[in-house]
Amino acid sequence: MSHKSNSLKQLALQKFKKNFWGVFSFFFIVLIGFISIFAYVFAPDDSQYANQMHLAIHSKKPGYNVTMLTMPSKIKVKQNSFDKLFFGRKNTDTEIPISEYAIKDDVLVYKEYASDGLEGAEKTVELNIFPNNSPKDFIQEKTFLFGTDKYGRDLLSRVLVGARISFFIGFVAVLISLLIGIFMGSVSGYFGGKVDAVIMWIINVTWSIPTLLLVIAITLALGKGFWQVFIAVGLTMWVEVARVVRGQIISTKEMQYVTAARALGYNDFRIITKHILPNIMAPVIVISAANFAAAILIESGLSFLGIGAQPPMASWGAMIKDHYNYIILGKPYLAIIPGLCIMSLVMAFMLIGNALRDALDVKS
Amino acid sequence: MNPILEIKNLSIAFNQNEVIHNISYALNKNEILGIVGESGSGKSVSSLAILGLLPKKISKITNGSIIYRDENLTQLSSQPFQKIRGNKIAMIFQEPMSSLNPSMTCGKQVEEVLLQHTSLSKKQVKEETLSLFEKVKLPDPERVFKVYPHEISGGQKQRVMIAMAIACKPDVLIADEPTTALDVTVQNDIIKLLKALQVETKMSIIFITHDLALISEIADRVLVMYKGNIVEEGLVKNIFKSPKHSYTKALINSRPSLDTRLKVLPTIQDFLNDSISTEIVSKEQRKKNHDKLYNKAPLLEVLNVEKEYITKSGWFTKPQHFKAVNDVSFKLYEGETLGLVGESGCGKSTLGNAILQLDKATSGSILYNGIDITKLSKTETRRLRKDIQIIFQDPYSSLNPRIPVGEAIMEPMKVHKLYASDIERKEKVIDILKRVGLSEDYFNRYPHEFSGGQRQRIGIARTIALKPKLIVCDESVSALDISVQAQVLNLLNELKADFGFTYIFISHDLAVVKYMSDQLLVMNQGKIEELDDADIIYDSPKKEYTKKLIHAIPKGL
Repeated sequence: MSHKSNSLKQLALQKFKKNFWGVFSFFFIVLIGFISIFAYVFAPDDSQYANQMHLAIHSKKPGYNVTMLTMPSKIKVKQNSFDKLFFGRKNTDTEIPISEYAIKDDVLVYKEYASDGLEGAEKTVELNIFPNNSPKDFIQEKTFLFGTDKYGRDLLSRVLVGARISFFIGFVAVLISLLIGIFMGSVSGYFGGKVDAVIMWIINVTWSIPTLLLVIAITLALGKGFWQVFIAVGLTMWVEVARVVRGQIISTKEMQYVTAARALGYNDFRIITKHILPNIMAPVIVISAANFAAAILIESGLSFLGIGAQPPMASWGAMIKDHYNYIILGKPYLAIIPGLCIMSLVMAFMLIGNALRDALDVKS
Repeated sequence: MNPILEIKNLSIAFNQNEVIHNISYALNKNEILGIVGESGSGKSVSSLAILGLLPKKISKITNGSIIYRDENLTQLSSQPFQKIRGNKIAMIFQEPMSSLNPSMTCGKQVEEVLLQHTSLSKKQVKEETLSLFEKVKLPDPERVFKVYPHEISGGQKQRVMIAMAIACKPDVLIADEPTTALDVTVQNDIIKLLKALQVETKMSIIFITHDLALISEIADRVLVMYKGNIVEEGLVKNIFKSPKHSYTKALINSRPSLDTRLKVLPTIQDFLNDSISTEIVSKEQRKKNHDKLYNKAPLLEVLNVEKEYITKSGWFTKPQHFKAVNDVSFKLYEGETLGLVGESGCGKSTLGNAILQLDKATSGSILYNGIDITKLSKTETRRLRKDIQIIFQDPYSSLNPRIPVGEAIMEPMKVHKLYASDIERKEKVIDILKRVGLSEDYFNRYPHEFSGGQRQRIGIARTIALKPKLIVCDESVSALDISVQAQVLNLLNELKADFGFTYIFISHDLAVVKYMSDQLLVMNQGKIEELDDADIIYDSPKKEYTKKLIHAIPKGL
């Protein structure tokens, strides 16, 4: 029994590997997934939600450079390293952008940064608030690669942290939609008759409600917040999965191997899970990839409308919302950068969906 | 005589894989040339090449030429090809059900061909179409002209297809298995029609089929193809009376004969090894065996079984019923094989499904060992499944493509909790695989890696894994090539002798059923037409329908 056999799954995988865009998108998505999990490691601003504001330097161009003075806070926050790694540093330090500074006796004299050619106010602070009385480590050059948003927060950090929401809403929504959709679809397709009629009725009713309105209604009922959005999007998406599964099951259950399974005395659960579902996974996988993309778009749409993730949480949709009126004010990058992020992630999912469809198609 | 179509040294490759190896033949004017071969022999591919209908992306004519009236068709571009295709060379396909456009009326589809290739006016086209319908002997041509394909029978659809093909008075007509999907009686009519049309129009016909007996009834000359080569060519008489190639011999002899009953059917391998056994089951042996069989109490008793379907039901109209099985009763004894024949739609498969409890009978009772199995609960039915099993028709769709065959055979054992452990089960599976003539290496392979005959063996292995008592063979060999069919029939007989199975053998093929069965049950329109010993029915049929059925079987020469 040393013969190594090629299952249909392996054949599909081989085909998928040959598709450049599919593989490219796959690695792109893996990369984004990795970045979103370890967002706080990569982000220059690793405070919770990348929420370190510097109002003085709001909405600066990408690559903006400034000297930054950090005032250590007297409040000591206890936080374990795991928490810090995945949820950001709980930060009470204040950061002040300055244009110049000098040390005189026991005090640090600095001039606050002011944009548009204005003179900043001159302020002093006692040196003893810094450890070892030396403020050297607390005054640093800081570069904002993607510039700053309208509250002076680092845009790059917010984009990285915001990737989380987009990515996880995809996962959660698709997971919920698969759980409900496959269950409902297989029950209605396999048993048919009255069960089918009832489930189809529910599907049609759910489908006739505009998605966005339904999500708004669900978020209103469950309260605002990003978990509610996850669930709401998942609850609207199961209909498509259910319909696809139902249709596939109806045609697959006529196959002789299903009749064979019945004749061999298998119970319904076994027939559905072992003999039908594995054979109809191809369209389900493809529709899941499309749903992934759709979920990201719906979430950004909801955030844009202000019912998605709530501030200070970073989300790409919310970032566009915050900055879309800057587009005509000559600072379009504030909205364009998160926009491009959404586009490339959605596109990657679409391409991967296409590649999977081609790979799983047994006919050619 | 100058040939009208000449094929010279033709080779065709699919993805660098040569499937036709350097074949040459010629088609004369006014003759019917038969091409015989099994699936994969390249008989259809070579004829598609004549029409330039090969799938362009994956196939390529690597060598040779096809010469039609001094024109090389392999070099022709698609524009001038369209003038020849359908006009000078026409084709009839196997599946009349899917080769007609379901959203166009039959008349329109024939008219379309005429409008495309002739310069007749609309009125003339309609007249021409009606006369064509008359020519192919369609009943009530005016009605057929107006109806959609689903409203006429399979045989009538094939007649419409023939009308379409001969609409432009082609020189060459290619008929690719035109009767395979049809019942024997209809097949007989279509063959007669084609012959008559050929005599009338003097066109040349290439008739492709897998059935040697059938070709002997229609063709003048025969080509035998095997694995992309022409192995034998000659007049029908010569091929039949004195076949030279061992493959041709095998093809002629593997089909069960209607006159004698061989103990073991010869297969191609036997002919290649020259080890043909000609042992015959004599009448006396058969009688002795039957006396023993029918002394016991019946294993299965079918009493007045009916199965009704609702054909039309609306909100306001009364539902209309259609009886697929109508008042059928018979007894089945342990160890016997009951043959069930009839044309498509006669209710033979429905009856099989009712016995298997896959479709519940509407009324009547089915007694298995004296217990009425129509009244069992769901769990009891499931337990019963161990005893009554089925072998399916289509070896390609009866296996789950995502489960390796070893596991597929092991699964029913697991479900019915046979044997103590998985290790023991696995040993049993390997035993069974060997028993049906497969090696144990196949345990982890997937169904798509096997040929049709091998898959049918796997299907049989899965069926016998449960050690059933009664097996319903629903057209189990109909989808197989003749040589493979012989092997599977032999296997079924061996298994029966080894394990003492009882078979209900359902088929539309009278020759096969007669070879296999002890008792024969002829069904027509849901009712039993005749029930008796297979030999008696065949030798002296009582009913008109049975006579017609037996008469329609192509006998060969």
